[in-house]
Parts: sequence; structure tokens; C-alpha cells
Amino acid sequence: MNAFFTLTLAAAGLLASTQARAQQFMTRSAHVDFFSSTPAEDISAVTEQASAVLDLASQNIAFQVPIISFHFEKALMEEHFNENYLESEKFPSATFTGKVSGLNPDAAVGLEQPVTATGTLSIHGVDVERTVEGTAVRTAAGWNLEARFDVPTEDHNIPIPKLVRSKIAESISVTLQAELSPR
Amino acid sequence: MLFAAVGASAQDDLLELLGPVETPDAFVAATFKDTRIINGQSNETPAGGVLHFVIAHRFGQISDGAYALWGLDNASMRMGFDYGITDRLSIGVARNTFQKTYEANLKARLLRQSNTVPLSITGFSSIACNGLRWPEPDRVNYFSSRLSYVHQLVIARKFNSNMSLALTPSVVHHNLVATPADAHDEYLIGAGGRYKLSQRVSVNGEYFLRLNPGEAYNNSLSLGVDIETGGHVFQLHVTNSQGMFERAFLTETAGRWLDGNIYFGFNLSRVFTVSDR
Repeated sequence: MNAFFTLTLAAAGLLASTQARAQQFMTRSAHVDFFSSTPAEDISAVTEQASAVLDLASQNIAFQVPIISFHFEKALMEEHFNENYLESEKFPSATFTGKVSGLNPDAAVGLEQPVTATGTLSIHGVDVERTVEGTAVRTAAGWNLEARFDVPTEDHNIPIPKLVRSKIAESISVTLQAELSPR
Repeated sequence: MLFAAVGASAQDDLLELLGPVETPDAFVAATFKDTRIINGQSNETPAGGVLHFVIAHRFGQISDGAYALWGLDNASMRMGFDYGITDRLSIGVARNTFQKTYEANLKARLLRQSNTVPLSITGFSSIACNGLRWPEPDRVNYFSSRLSYVHQLVIARKFNSNMSLALTPSVVHHNLVATPADAHDEYLIGAGGRYKLSQRVSVNGEYFLRLNPGEAYNNSLSLGVDIETGGHVFQLHVTNSQGMFERAFLTETAGRWLDGNIYFGFNLSRVFTVSDR
């Protein structure tokens, strides 16, 4: 009797933990790119090494982007980005942690849902509370998330010297695409 | 309130789930701002597809005084082009006013500092050709007598974002030496470093110790400042070496700091992205 009870409890626990796991979706190869456009110069960079995790039960979401993984067209831009602007040795990653609203976990596969994420965007060691609009699409196995937002460099204490101000936009346009699969 | 606190910690847990930032393929960037610390090589090479153009000036001795505007009347020049074939291999050519010397060089990053590798090692080899007319045209002169060779290993480490140091064991081979007593092969050990004062300005220093010195010359000591402005790097320095190519400053440094035989000079480098990465 006692053994049966323990077994049942263990089985229930196992079930609960599997369910909790199935509620979490993640990726380590999310796409993030950004774009700075001025009349003098267009600068863009891209990484496919961002991580993202979505917890469906709590609707919490987190992104982590290794700064050093961004690739630029010109090597010197990449060096300056890491050395002079984002200081990637001091601040190795940019993160966003927050809550998604407007996400229906039971939506039909392939249906595009407009969603809003509210939380903390941390870039260059400076936290800014942000609300970002995006879309979520349920796929056969998981979720696809997309968002586009602007990051003013001033918000994150990234000074642009006068000499290059004509070449670097004051606000950088960021796009992210993540295909999450069950954890 | 309590709910908010729980919510925030749940989000942080989610971030923790993603673990520490992993970028195993990332090499440490910008150990030095330029391919040279001052006169001597740094571990850096131009990136693949990038042409690195450097124009360097070295003025006369500061001890020449006001009459020669502390040496500024007597400028000599070095003009060099280095091209990155890949991110790890570059070739270069240069021409110097000093002894009308032509240079060709090869530089290769043998080891690059990363999360798992503690230091960078870059190999540098150059050949220099004296372009002066033969001082004694009547005797038999061999072309090979014009040539000298330098081989160096730059062992560098970026300790943090501000401080980088390098050790540079070097050998210089002269095909022709001035007197039979002079060595054809000279060995040196160099030490150099930089400390960043701000994002775009650093102070640099370097010293080359000759291990089997001849009588005539001195060890090279240079102090300088790097200023970075977008695609340019300005390097301003004072040094007791007048020559700006390896053999000249390694083995033919005539000036003595204590006597004021020091030279003001600058390197101005500019990169051009010639082909896509």
C-alpha cells in the first residue's frame, strides 16, 4: 500500500515535470540584426547565435544576444563596435527579460498573433524598461517569434563621437527572429 | 508587490536557463590598435581583404634645437602597403627614405588569444634592400650585399580591455657587415605594451634589448600615443631610432636618450576594404 502510494506520487511528479518542460520553448540560434542608416553610410550587422526562451505557462520570455557574435561587413567596424561602442569585454551580452501579452497558447498552427512584450532591455550594462510589439506564430513543434524595434544609443549610454556622428544613426533599428522548439 | 517580485525572479530564472554567453569561436580583438606598437610589430595584421596603408614620418633630432625647429626641418619617410590575404596572413611592401630602402614582408597570426588560448603569437619576416648607389662602384659589388633579413615572433597578451603587452624575440641577418668584427646575425628581445586612457587614446612604449651588441649602436627605446579616429590611427612618438624599418631600428639605432638624440615622428594609417570578407 505504502509502496503503491510512493509510486503514484513519483509518477504524478514525473508527469508534472514533463508538463512543465513542454511549456518551455527555446533556441540557441535566433537571428538578430541591426541597421544604422545615415546619408553618409549604412551599417548593418547580424548574428545567428542569440538565445531565447519562452515559458508558456507564465508567459515569461527571455533573450540573450552575445555582442561579440555580431558580424559586420567591414572588420574595422566590428572591432570598433566591440571595442569602442558596446565594450563587449565588459558587457558581453544584451538581454531582454519580460512578459508577453496577447499570446494565445492554443492558437491554430500557422496563425499570426500580434503580441506585446513588456520588460527590461539591457544593452551596454544599461537597463531600460521597454514595450516591444511583435508577432508570434505557433508551429508544428514550437513557436516562431518576430519583433522589430528601435534602440536609441543615448538610452544605453553609448556615446557617438562628433567626428563620426554623420555616419552612425542616433537610433538603431533591430530585428529579431526566433524559432523556438520544446525544451 | 509580492506577485511582482515573484514574477521578476521567474524571468531571471528564465535568463539563467539560457546559461552563460557562449562564443567559443571568438578571438580577442584589438590587442593593439595598429599593426605596429610604435616602430616594432604588434600581433595585429590587416583583416582579410583589407589594404592597410601607413605613411610614417620621422623628423630630425630634437637636440638640433630651435634653428632646425627641433628636428622638424629634416623629415624622412616610410610609405607602406600591407594587404590581408586572409584574417591570419598578410603581405606588405614599403619604401623608406633612410638608405632608400625597399622592403617586402610577410606576417602570419600563428596563434590567436581566445577564451581558451591565453596569448597570441604572430610571426613576422621581412627582407630589406638598400637602394643607395654603390659607394665604391669600381670594386666588385654583389646585389646580395644590399640585402638584410629580419625574423620575429610577437608573443602578445591582452590582459584586459585597457592593457596589452608583447614580447618580441628577434633575429636580424646582415649579408654584408661593416667590419669583420661585426656579427652577421644579431639577436634581440623586445618588450612593448599599451595602456588605454580612453576608448580612442592609448599610451604605448617599447624597448629592444640587443643580446650580442656591436660597439657602435644603442638599444631602441620609444614612447608614444595612439589616437584612433574612425578609419585612421595616428601614432605619435619619440624615439632614439631614426630608421623606421626593422633592421634599422633594431640594430642601427644611433641616438641616445640621455644626450637628447631623440626623434619625433608619427605613423598615420588608414584601412581600405578592397574585397568582401
